Amino acid sequence: MKNAIGREIPERVGGRILRPFQGAFATTPTGRKASRPQKTIKPGENKVLRSLEEAIEATGLKSGMTISFHHAFREGDYLVNMVLAACARMGLKDLRLFPTALFAVHAPVIDHIKNGVVSRIEGSMNGPIGAFISQGGKLKEPAVLRSHGGRWRAIEAGDVKIDVAFISASQADPYGNANGIYGKTPCGPISYCAVDAQYAEKTVVVTNDLAPYPAYPFEIQQGWTDYVVVVDEIGDPGSIASGTLQITRSPTRLKIARLAAAAVKAAGYIKDGFSFQGGAGGISLAATKFVGEEMARAGIVGSFAIGGVTQHLVEMLHQGLLRVLLDGQAFDLSAIESLRQDHNHVLMDPGHYANCDSRGCATYMLDAAFLGATEVDLEFNVNVNTHSDGQLLHGIGGHQEVAAGASLTLITVPTLRGRLPVIVDSVTTVTTPGEVIDAIVTERGIAVNPRREDLKELFIAAGLPVRELEEIKQEADRLVRPLGRPVFGDEVIALIEWRDGTVIDVVRRVEGWQ
Amino acid sequence: MVGSENKSDCIVRVSRSGKTGINLTTGNEKLFGAGLRAVIEETLSALGNDRLRIDLEEHGALDCVIRARVEAAVREAFPDVSPWKTEVKRERSARDRLRRTRLYAPGNNPRLLAGIELHGADCVLLDLEDSVPPSEKFTARILVKHLLAVADFPEVWVRINPLATYGRDDLAEVMLARPHGICLPKAESAADVVELAAELTRLEESLVTELGTDVGSTFIMPIIETGKGVLHAEEIACAHERVVIIAFGAEDYTRDVGARRTQDALLFARSMIVAACASAGIQASDTVYANTDDEQGLISEAEHIRDLGFVGKGAINPRQIEPIHRVFRPTKEEIEQARKIVAVAREAEAKGIGAVALGGKMIDRPVLERAKRTIALAEQLQGEWR
Repeated sequence: MKNAIGREIPERVGGRILRPFQGAFATTPTGRKASRPQKTIKPGENKVLRSLEEAIEATGLKSGMTISFHHAFREGDYLVNMVLAACARMGLKDLRLFPTALFAVHAPVIDHIKNGVVSRIEGSMNGPIGAFISQGGKLKEPAVLRSHGGRWRAIEAGDVKIDVAFISASQADPYGNANGIYGKTPCGPISYCAVDAQYAEKTVVVTNDLAPYPAYPFEIQQGWTDYVVVVDEIGDPGSIASGTLQITRSPTRLKIARLAAAAVKAAGYIKDGFSFQGGAGGISLAATKFVGEEMARAGIVGSFAIGGVTQHLVEMLHQGLLRVLLDGQAFDLSAIESLRQDHNHVLMDPGHYANCDSRGCATYMLDAAFLGATEVDLEFNVNVNTHSDGQLLHGIGGHQEVAAGASLTLITVPTLRGRLPVIVDSVTTVTTPGEVIDAIVTERGIAVNPRREDLKELFIAAGLPVRELEEIKQEADRLVRPLGRPVFGDEVIALIEWRDGTVIDVVRRVEGWQ
Repeated sequence: MVGSENKSDCIVRVSRSGKTGINLTTGNEKLFGAGLRAVIEETLSALGNDRLRIDLEEHGALDCVIRARVEAAVREAFPDVSPWKTEVKRERSARDRLRRTRLYAPGNNPRLLAGIELHGADCVLLDLEDSVPPSEKFTARILVKHLLAVADFPEVWVRINPLATYGRDDLAEVMLARPHGICLPKAESAADVVELAAELTRLEESLVTELGTDVGSTFIMPIIETGKGVLHAEEIACAHERVVIIAFGAEDYTRDVGARRTQDALLFARSMIVAACASAGIQASDTVYANTDDEQGLISEAEHIRDLGFVGKGAINPRQIEPIHRVFRPTKEEIEQARKIVAVAREAEAKGIGAVALGGKMIDRPVLERAKRTIALAEQLQGEWR
C-alpha cells in the first residue's frame, strides 16, 4: 500500500501490522497508556548490586527480552558493550536492543548479532552497525527507527515493552536517583531514558560515581529505579562531550548560515520573545551565531532556545540574548557546566520536548529552526537516515518534531557535498515530509515551499535570493555527472516511523545498480 | 602526475605503456564510477587521444576539475597535444560597472575555487601569479580555463604572470574560455599595457571563427605595485582603451619602496592612482586587506580609501565582501540629500536660474554630478541582500 506521500509500505512486517503515514498531524491516539507492575519497598531495603551479572540475574532478564539504553555518552559509551558482553557470558540469546541511538563505539554489537545474542534492534544506528545491516547483516525483524519524541510515545503507547532498562548515569545515589551533569564523567542530560525508567518492567541505574543520598537533580528518580550497579568505568571522558565546537570556516557554509539568519529576520521573528532551535552541525552552529548577532543588533531578548546545547547557545544565555535554555542534550563541556550553575539553563526530557501524543510539546512553541539533511527532494521531503547509495547512516534525532513544530523550519544544506548532489528528484528515504518544511537554504539561493507564498513575499521584499528548488537543483547538477542509482529489492531492512507511530517510509535492501 | 589528494581535487597519472583504459579509485565506485568514466572519456576524446592508460584517484572533484586534471596530465605526457577548448557564452561586461569588490582566488586550488562565483563579489579574480608556485603554473592555468568554461560569473578576471615570465602561456590558455578581463601585475609603463593589448588582439582574432570571440572585448586591469608604476600611473591609465580600472597592490609597493605598511606610507601612491584614473576616466580599486579576522580594520581602511576616491577594494576571503559593500553603500541620509539636490537643481533649470543653493551650500556642477551618482548607485543596489 502507498502512504500519504506515495511511499510503498508493506501491510505487515514480521508480526507487526503497519499503519501507513497519513499526514503530519492526521492521527489521534486512543485508549490508555501502558504501565508497569506495582511494587513496594520497605525502609532499609538495599538496591545496590555488585555487578551487571548480578543485575541481569536480579531483573530476571531472559533470552528474547527487550533491553534499553540511552546515548548521552555518545562515542564514549561503555555500557551497551558491557551489558551485551555480560549477557553473552550468561548465555542469553535473541535479545531485542532498544537504544535511543548506537554509535561507532558500539561496533561489537555486530558480533552479538552474528552470534545470536542480539536478534532485533529498534533504535538509531549511526555508522558501522547501520552499514552492517545495510550490507547483508541479518536481523530477525527489520530495524525500527524513531525520533526522540516518537520513541517516547512508542513506550507510553505500549508499542514497545521494555523488560530491563539499563541507564548509565555519571552520578547516582544508592537509592536510585541519577543524573548526567555531576560525577567524574558528566555526559549531559540523561532523561532520554526517563520514560524507559518509568515503563520498563525493571530499571537498573549504572554509575561509576556513587554519591551520598540524595543525588540530584532527579533526572532518574528513586521511585522508578529497581537496582543500582556501581562499575569502575562507564565511559571514555575524551569521547563523551567534545571541547568547544568550532564554527565552520567554509565560505559556502558560512554563506548558507548567513542566508538562514537573514531569512529568520526577513520573516519578522527578530523581536522580543523570539525562540529557536540551534544545532551542533557546522551550518546550524554558524546560523545560531548570526541569529544571535541579529538579536543583539535589534536589542531584543529571546524567550528560549532548544539545543543540542553548545557553548555558543550558553554564551547567548549569559549575554542576556535569551531568557531560558531548554536542554535535552549537551554537546560540550561548557553546556554541562552551565547546567550546574545557571537556573535559567533547564533540563528537559524528550517527552516534554517532542512527544506528539501528549498534552504539550516544546517544539510547538518554536518560532524558527535550522535543520540539516543528507538529501532533500523537489517535494521538499527530507532524508537524514540513508546515504544516496541506500545505506543506513543516521538516526532521526529530533528532526521530525522540530520540523513539525517550528513556525519557520529551514533546511540548511550545500547543494553539493563533493560530487554528491543534495537536492534530488526523490529522496532515497523520507524522514520528514515536505509538508512541514518551509524553505531550503543553499549557497545558490533559498527555495520556499509553495505552501508558504507568504514567506516567499517577505523574503523577496528583503532582497533575499529566492529561487525555484528545481532551478537550484539544475545548476548544481550541471557540475557533476548523474550518480549511479541503487536498485532496491523487496526485503525491508528498516522501518522509518513518523513521530505518531505511522510508517513514513521503509528502507529496502539494495540488490543492484543501474 | 597532476592534482592532489586535497578535498575537491583528484590525482591523475597517464602512461603510454601497459593496457589502455581507465583505472579509477573513488570513495564510492557505484555512485560515482560511471559518471567519472564518462567525464574522463569525453575529455580524452576532445583531446584526440583516447588510447592511453589513465589512473585517476578522486577526492570529491567536480567534473570541471576532473577535465582539467586529465587534460593537464595528458599534455604533460604529450606536449604536442593541443589544448581543450569550448565555446563559452559570456556577456560582454560594461566599462563602468559596479566594482566594489574584486575577490581573489588561488588558481591552483579546486577547493577554494568551487563556488567562488557565489559569494556576491562584484568581480572575481582567478589568480595565476603570486598564489601559484612555478611548479603548478601549467596545471593551474588549465584548471582556471575549465572553471571559466562552466561557472557563471558576474564579472571574471584572470591575473596572469608578467608577460616576460609565464604570462604569454597563461593568456594562450585562459583566452580559450573568454574571461571578461586580464589583470596585469607589476604594470610599470604604458608599454607594458600596450604589449598585453596587442597580445590580446592577436589571440582574440585567432579565435573569432572557432569560438566566436569578440575582438577588443577583453578588458585590462593593470595592477600598480611598484614605485615606478606609481610614478607612471597616468600613462598606464591612458595607455589603451581596454584599460577600465587600475588596482593598487600595497604589499609589493611597500616592499619595493622600503616603506612600512601604514596608511600614511600609502597615501601618495593611492592618490596618484586615483588622480591618474580620473584623468583617464576609468575606475581605481584599492589593495587587499590581509587580516581576514579583523573586520573593523577592514571597514576603517575601506572608508579611508572610499574617501580618497577609490570605487572598490580587493578581498582575499569571501567574508570580506559584505563589510566592503556596506562601506560603499550610500546611507539613507546621503540618498535623501542627493534627491533634494537634484530636485532643487531641476527646479532652478526650469526657472532659468543659474546658481542655486541648498541649506546655504552652493549647488554647482560637481555637486550635482555627485548627487546623481549617489542616486544611480542607490538604485542599482536596491534589492541587494546584505
